[in-house]
Amino acid sequence: MKLMNAPEDIQVKEPGYDVSRRRFFQLAGGVAGAGIFLASCKGSKPTDTYIGTEDFALLNFLYILQQLEAAFYTQAVATPELSITKDELLLLTDVRDQEIAHAGFLKTLLGKNAIPAIAPNFSSVTFVDRTSVYTFAAMLEDLCVSGIISACTYFENQAYALEFAKMATVEARHSAYFRDALTYNSFADGTVIDSNGLDMVATSPRTVLAAAENYIFTHFDSSKLPG
Amino acid sequence: MNFKNILQQIEKADPEVYERLSGRRQILKSFGSKVAVAALPLAIGSMFKKAYGRTTDVVVDALNFALELEYLEFAFYHTANNTGNLIPAADQPGFLTIEAHEQAHVNFLTTTITAMGGTPFVPKHFTDSTTRGSFVPAAYDFTGGGAYNNVFNDYPTFLILAEVFEDTGVRAYGGQMSAFSGNALLVQAQQIAAVEGRHAAHIRLIRRNAGASELPAPWITNNIPPTTATQANYLGEDNTIQGVGAISIDITTITDGTGTVPKASATAAFDEPLDKATVTTLVSPFLKP
Repeated sequence: MKLMNAPEDIQVKEPGYDVSRRRFFQLAGGVAGAGIFLASCKGSKPTDTYIGTEDFALLNFLYILQQLEAAFYTQAVATPELSITKDELLLLTDVRDQEIAHAGFLKTLLGKNAIPAIAPNFSSVTFVDRTSVYTFAAMLEDLCVSGIISACTYFENQAYALEFAKMATVEARHSAYFRDALTYNSFADGTVIDSNGLDMVATSPRTVLAAAENYIFTHFDSSKLPG
Repeated sequence: MNFKNILQQIEKADPEVYERLSGRRQILKSFGSKVAVAALPLAIGSMFKKAYGRTTDVVVDALNFALELEYLEFAFYHTANNTGNLIPAADQPGFLTIEAHEQAHVNFLTTTITAMGGTPFVPKHFTDSTTRGSFVPAAYDFTGGGAYNNVFNDYPTFLILAEVFEDTGVRAYGGQMSAFSGNALLVQAQQIAAVEGRHAAHIRLIRRNAGASELPAPWITNNIPPTTATQANYLGEDNTIQGVGAISIDITTITDGTGTVPKASATAAFDEPLDKATVTTLVSPFLKP
């Protein structure tokens, strides 16, 4: 699996062979009526990466988030000027490998339904600066906690939800670590935990995806994403 | 919290839910955007009781088991935070935060169980004269029958038990998730479990920075315990095979650009569940008869 943000990994779309474009023509050329034709035209361009429907859409949604994390940590670890201690680099590398594991796992579950590698946009991050990297990391981890938990009730096959619950608590551990590393004792402060002692999560996959898309060049057709 | 989404899910799982209830509009009117956060468990609980009265037993049992663990954790931190010269000043804010969360969890679970028509768990000796609110010191022996006599005198010993309680708490919630399968409470259960994960990460980082011999990361590496005596709490954490249904993969075969994912990271990436019987055995040394 390619995760490095190298030029050859940026998704290059061949006109006419894009997943959503192919689907578009299938719909248009089939027995589908004008209503469906128009509906397909609305909101998403033929060049958008179609993420699928129902459980596959949810899996691709989580795959997008995990790819984003994996790409981010890969770039952070590969930045020799990043001013962190040896011990911090050890932990950062560990987190990178865990996110690569999550992304690879989701890709395996998706099989032929997996979307191609996404093109991340980390222009808002200063990779030599510890504060910039850790702040972005904490934000990304919180977003992934939200992503996994928001998706859980939407899975037709609840076995997915139960398996990914094992990842959600790990993302929360990551977030706590980066928060503490930035500001000691902020691992679970009032900005992320509500008055019931619950991790404040967005409950809609769409909300989470919209937030993640701020850091991704790839455009997605997520019109069939549940929630 | 987006209550409409939860309703959509219930609707999907059970198209007849509104016949069991009094109509979607009525529910939204009652529990819509203006519902107070504190009232949410009550709102959800009473709704479920009304709609699924016969099937709440499994859910209530799981919530009560979680409540049992939250009472234990709350008593542990409440005792520590009120013991002079135990927690260094720099670490006190963190442990006050953790204690407040455990108290909030006790309240949230108790309210939810009550609203579902269940009977909330209370610790043994709840009527003891030393009980103050949710603090039931008479129920617990945090020396573990003499194995940790310095638990509230020696900070490193306290940290070891805190780490074990939090990691075991995360795994215990994981083991109960299937009880909430297809249920809106799956969201809340995961929200609590995530908070326990944050606590565990914080305590582990304190121990790492203090030079604990096994050099704990904020996450669980392989099945490495803080002490050999607590190995049982970490058994199974070295699992590298993950899957759903017929599809599974050995995580250590996934490539990371320069090689494959190391086993340490492959195991850390997933918090493995523990079943109720195992957790009960693990906490039993800390419960008074």
